[in-house]
Amino acid sequence: MHIQELILRLQRFWADRGCLIGQPYDLEKGAGTMNPLTFFGALGSKPWNVAYVEPSRRPADGRYGENPFRVYKHLQFQVILKPSPAKVQDLYIESLEALGIDLSKHDLRFEEDNWESPSLGAWGVGWQVVLDGMEISQFTYFQQVGGLDCRPVSAELTYGIERICMFLGGYDNIFDLIHGNVTTDDGVFPVTYGQMRQREEFELSAYSFEHADIDLHRTLFDAFEKEGWRLLNDHGHFLSAYEQALKMSHTFNVLDARGAVSTTERPGIIKRVRDLACACARAYLEHETADVAEGADKNGAAAGKGGAK
Amino acid sequence: MSATKTFLLELHCEEIPARFLRPLSDEFGARLMTAMGGTLLTMGLPKGYFSPRKLSWSINLPVQERDRTEVQIGPPERLCIDLEGKPTIQGQKFAEKWGVNFWDIKFEPAGKKEPCAVVTVTKQGRPTVELLAEALPGLIAGLHVPKAMRWGSSEFEFVRPIRNILCLFGEQVVPITVDGVAATNTTWGHRLFHRQHPEAIRIASPEAYEAALEAAGVVVSVDKRRSLIEAQLHRLAEEVGGRVVMHDDEDKQLLDTLAEIVEFPKVVRGDFPANFLELPKEVLVVSLREHQKAFCIERPDGDLLPCFLTAANRPDDPEGFVKAGNEWVLKARLYDARFFFAEDRKHPLSDRLEKLKALTFQRELGSYHEKTGRVVALTKALATRLSTDDAHIDRALEAARMAKCDLRTLMVGEFPELQGVMGGEYLRHEGAHEDVWKAVKEHYRPVGADDAIPGTPMGCLLSLCDKLDTVVGCFAVGLIPSGSKDPLALRRAGQGIVRILWEQGWALTPSDLIDAALKVVSPKATKPEPETREALLAFFKDRVAYQLELAEYSGKVRRATLGAGWMDLLDLKARGDVLKRVEADPSFDSLKESAKRIGNILKDEAPVEAFDRTVLVEPAEIDLYNRLIYLEGVFGGAHYRNQYQMICGHLAELSQPLEAFFNAVMVKCEDPALRAARISLLHRLRQAFLRVADFSLWQ
Repeated sequence: MHIQELILRLQRFWADRGCLIGQPYDLEKGAGTMNPLTFFGALGSKPWNVAYVEPSRRPADGRYGENPFRVYKHLQFQVILKPSPAKVQDLYIESLEALGIDLSKHDLRFEEDNWESPSLGAWGVGWQVVLDGMEISQFTYFQQVGGLDCRPVSAELTYGIERICMFLGGYDNIFDLIHGNVTTDDGVFPVTYGQMRQREEFELSAYSFEHADIDLHRTLFDAFEKEGWRLLNDHGHFLSAYEQALKMSHTFNVLDARGAVSTTERPGIIKRVRDLACACARAYLEHETADVAEGADKNGAAAGKGGAK
Repeated sequence: MSATKTFLLELHCEEIPARFLRPLSDEFGARLMTAMGGTLLTMGLPKGYFSPRKLSWSINLPVQERDRTEVQIGPPERLCIDLEGKPTIQGQKFAEKWGVNFWDIKFEPAGKKEPCAVVTVTKQGRPTVELLAEALPGLIAGLHVPKAMRWGSSEFEFVRPIRNILCLFGEQVVPITVDGVAATNTTWGHRLFHRQHPEAIRIASPEAYEAALEAAGVVVSVDKRRSLIEAQLHRLAEEVGGRVVMHDDEDKQLLDTLAEIVEFPKVVRGDFPANFLELPKEVLVVSLREHQKAFCIERPDGDLLPCFLTAANRPDDPEGFVKAGNEWVLKARLYDARFFFAEDRKHPLSDRLEKLKALTFQRELGSYHEKTGRVVALTKALATRLSTDDAHIDRALEAARMAKCDLRTLMVGEFPELQGVMGGEYLRHEGAHEDVWKAVKEHYRPVGADDAIPGTPMGCLLSLCDKLDTVVGCFAVGLIPSGSKDPLALRRAGQGIVRILWEQGWALTPSDLIDAALKVVSPKATKPEPETREALLAFFKDRVAYQLELAEYSGKVRRATLGAGWMDLLDLKARGDVLKRVEADPSFDSLKESAKRIGNILKDEAPVEAFDRTVLVEPAEIDLYNRLIYLEGVFGGAHYRNQYQMICGHLAELSQPLEAFFNAVMVKCEDPALRAARISLLHRLRQAFLRVADFSLWQ
């Protein structure tokens, strides 16, 4: 199956089951959870279902486009269901069937895998979903986000898009995947993942491991942090402040891939990201609670303010 | 015996983490017994079943509580019967209250000053189903869940969401509700089964439970699943002329894990490209185990075959998807492992020594680079005591320098459990001396009580120095294990040290080791040295005592042997071995009695060594004196430590003369000179015993 077909089917499937279809957030990030649609959406009491694709950057996973299985940037398909439905596992299984996976012929397991994001002050319990021995999804019941208890609890489903595509097609190389077909007057031209992304993988790996300016990134990290706290403390702006936390997180990841972070230094740096992210979460929740108290948002959807932006 | 019925409770959940299944199953069983055992007297531990989505318990119970009789005491007789001999109002009220005819009341003193009204009433036992319905919701909610979660909008916490409750007593549903889920007589089988059967399955009675579930694709007994898997594993390995690699505890745990994560097991054999066999065997075994929950297959000569075995959660693999999928993933994993192996070898292992500076061993004790420095110094101090061969000592120091370097390799970053192994493998590839690479490879051993110590003396020395630095270093900065708290596993490290001494028979005492290590860690110490030394001595004494348990000495041999000193392990072992042999000899029981008596007599005395033997008068004490002198002569010899067998013979022969002495002699007599001589005689006898054992503890 083409990558774009897989995405389209997942979007159709979840839209039909009452999810908003969101968009990727236009800042570098390590996981779909960092998108405000999830980070803020999982907070507070309002019902909130959303699904979207998120390109996720992991600088340390870069392999210059030479490793057939590992890449600097991959695509996650992210679903948030709040509160988590009673039949959430069945829904997830149906979504796999919508991708054409005939589960009567495969081995599907839910193996314990508790997710934690120290830089977001978030954790949950759940599973990695394993199909014929391969992890195809991460399934999490959020317990805390931004250091705050999730009430109600959201279920987060994260599909590894390239992996599932490779698996379904029996591909041995990620760059051989077909993203989709370009049809022109002259005919149909399949476009591979490699054509679209291999050069990008090369350059971004080289950047992460060799070219990134360490001093600049240290300076940037400090500056983003300062900017974030200024926005939050002086203006009470948790969305723009949260963006600074995301930038801090990515800057840290680059420094880390560059080998510039010592083991002892690491927890302290992560804590600085977490502190800002958690402060944003608290500010968001205060804002949302105030809204509810004023009756400003009677229809119960989280579409009005904050997390749904 | 009243009628019984079978009780069955099944909590059907979303997939419960494998590691929690057995503890939860056992804990609930015990709690159920505690809660219900009081009223349902016959109750034992219920039988527990579990599978990834199920926790179930079943047990036979009486259909109702036993009837209980209770004695009720009422007012005094004079208030119940008036002067005319008729019942008073008060008396009648008492009879009414307990539902008896007034004239059935007995009047007895019943522990009071005067006769009182007494009735014996029978309380009918309540139906078991009621008791269960009352107790179960609290028991379920109160189950201790190590990593509890909430779900949906509820505040209820459990290990994973509960989606169905089956609760039967005989054929009757026990009416309970937990977090909004009401118990029924139905449950769910394997997901695969329900693709064809959308309805829940009905369980007619607890007796039908296992078979009904198995028909629905769930083998609910973990033991049965494990034996199914094991049989398939061995059969599939034999088919390709090999055997399953199942040596370590981790391999055995993998078998348990596989049994815990499937509901209906099917072992699948897959292949991987043979060129991956160029990777070290340990890498393949660990990579397959940790990433893919798969076993390797080895040939009779120990080399691996390019195949693996893993268990699927379904009865078959109709189109080979399960095999192909696992092969595909494994290839990706091994590709990574090969990448790490190649990358790591681009630079000599020693290049990582500098990089150890950025790797913290422990906050106060500094980096692994600093630790390496200390371990090298310790190795030097101890190696020179054990060997005079300079080349040998140099190799030991080289091994100590290289020991931690692999912590900065990609492979160990990915598979921490390969620490040591990779260092050794990389050194071997670099052409290091066999002593060196083997020592590095095995220096984490023994990893646990079941693991062997390193196979070479140099490996043992390196392991000992590494652990010694860890233990003494931590004590010196105040990190001392207490109670159940031992986050740095110092007890295990200490046990490793003692085991190496014990099994190698080196002439090094814990005290020697502590001194050498304290010298090395002193720049980092934050606690006063005498305090640290004292704590370490107590710690090692416990480790030595435990070593005697591991060596399977009985309690009395352990206590008596340790009572005569624990510091010299060689000597301790020699004494323990001899005492173990004479354990059943009754002479020593008599010796125990005498030793206790001697202890009591000497308790408040200040005996001196020397005494005038000419004042002794009784034949029994003169005989004892002569035997003492002979024994002291033996202990005066240079080699008495090789002669414990013979010495124990002499000690056994003392039992009769000692009994005779105590029968004939009053130690604390009037004559001060005689008394002093007798006290000294007993004192020196005790000193002689204590060269071997404290026989007062021989029980």
